[in-house]
Amino acid sequence: MSTLHVVSHSPFTDSRLASCLRVCGTEDAILLCGDGAYGLHNAALHTKGLKVFVLAEDMQARNVTLPDWADSLDYAGFVQLSIDYDKVNTWL
Amino acid sequence: MKFAIALFSAAHAPSSRRALLFAQAALAGGHEIVRLFFYQDGVYTASNNLVAPQDEQDIARQWRAFVSQHQLDGVVCIAAALRRGVLNNEEATRYQRSAVNLDAPWALSGLGQLHDAAQAADRLICFGGP
Amino acid sequence: MSKSLLVISRQAPWSGPSAREALDIVLAGGAFDLPIGLLFMDDGVFQLAPHQDAKAVQQKDLSANLQALGLFGVDDVFACSHSLAERGLATPGSAEPLDSDAITQLIDRYDQVITL
Repeated sequence: MSTLHVVSHSPFTDSRLASCLRVCGTEDAILLCGDGAYGLHNAALHTKGLKVFVLAEDMQARNVTLPDWADSLDYAGFVQLSIDYDKVNTWL
Repeated sequence: MKFAIALFSAAHAPSSRRALLFAQAALAGGHEIVRLFFYQDGVYTASNNLVAPQDEQDIARQWRAFVSQHQLDGVVCIAAALRRGVLNNEEATRYQRSAVNLDAPWALSGLGQLHDAAQAADRLICFGGP
Repeated sequence: MSKSLLVISRQAPWSGPSAREALDIVLAGGAFDLPIGLLFMDDGVFQLAPHQDAKAVQQKDLSANLQALGLFGVDDVFACSHSLAERGLATPGSAEPLDSDAITQLIDRYDQVITL
């Protein structure tokens, strides 16, 4: 089964993204939203080879540039993603 | 697709707005929301004593309108709500408190409603934090 | 068949009601006979530390709730071994230690996850 992990904390002040990466499976994906969008500056995400998504509005609000290894989506895309993966694990 | 949505943060948290927009998008996409469950600081969403500054978005009010308009099941955890001073008429009377700040469309109930919703749904989606 | 739920508890027991409220989700699920698992991770493993003294800060003892897990039919209790080692904690008797790969598989096994 695949899991969509949702992270909304900045990886630069908080350990959630690091913990998430430690237990992420190869079929899993990460959706960055809120301050989690700052995670696009985090090279560790890229090197793990995981699928990475970011909520477009949070990227835009923070003037974070979309790297070629991530995809951005809107809320309709978020809903679809939560269906495409077997479960959603939000790191509250 | 049937969604159960659980909210763990107050209306002023960005994650509350995110949950609302997700819920709106889910309905717009033809999906069903079996229940919205408000836990931890999420219970503040249901307080009708919140006053948003005029030039700011009133997310609590938008939640209320959304739940009413779509006749959704908006359940607020009773234990978490009591602890945070969110009371309906019955609880205010029971605990002899002067303020009632929770009414329809919200309902106070127990954590069993979260499990019940999760069982009935295809997806359980939680929102909280920043 | 009932859907299974894994609760991942990441909060230290002394940071407000979070840890207790996470445990309440687990106990409520157990009371309804649902298949529930509990994983302590990150600061959540501090809930398992021995000889804590809730009375020193006039709190209720969370360990009583932890001991109630078995009574509520919650037997699948795990602890992240990485988090334990990182914090210099010994392996607790009350939770099965799992390394990161085992946690990946654990999350995979459950139908739904709540991490708080």
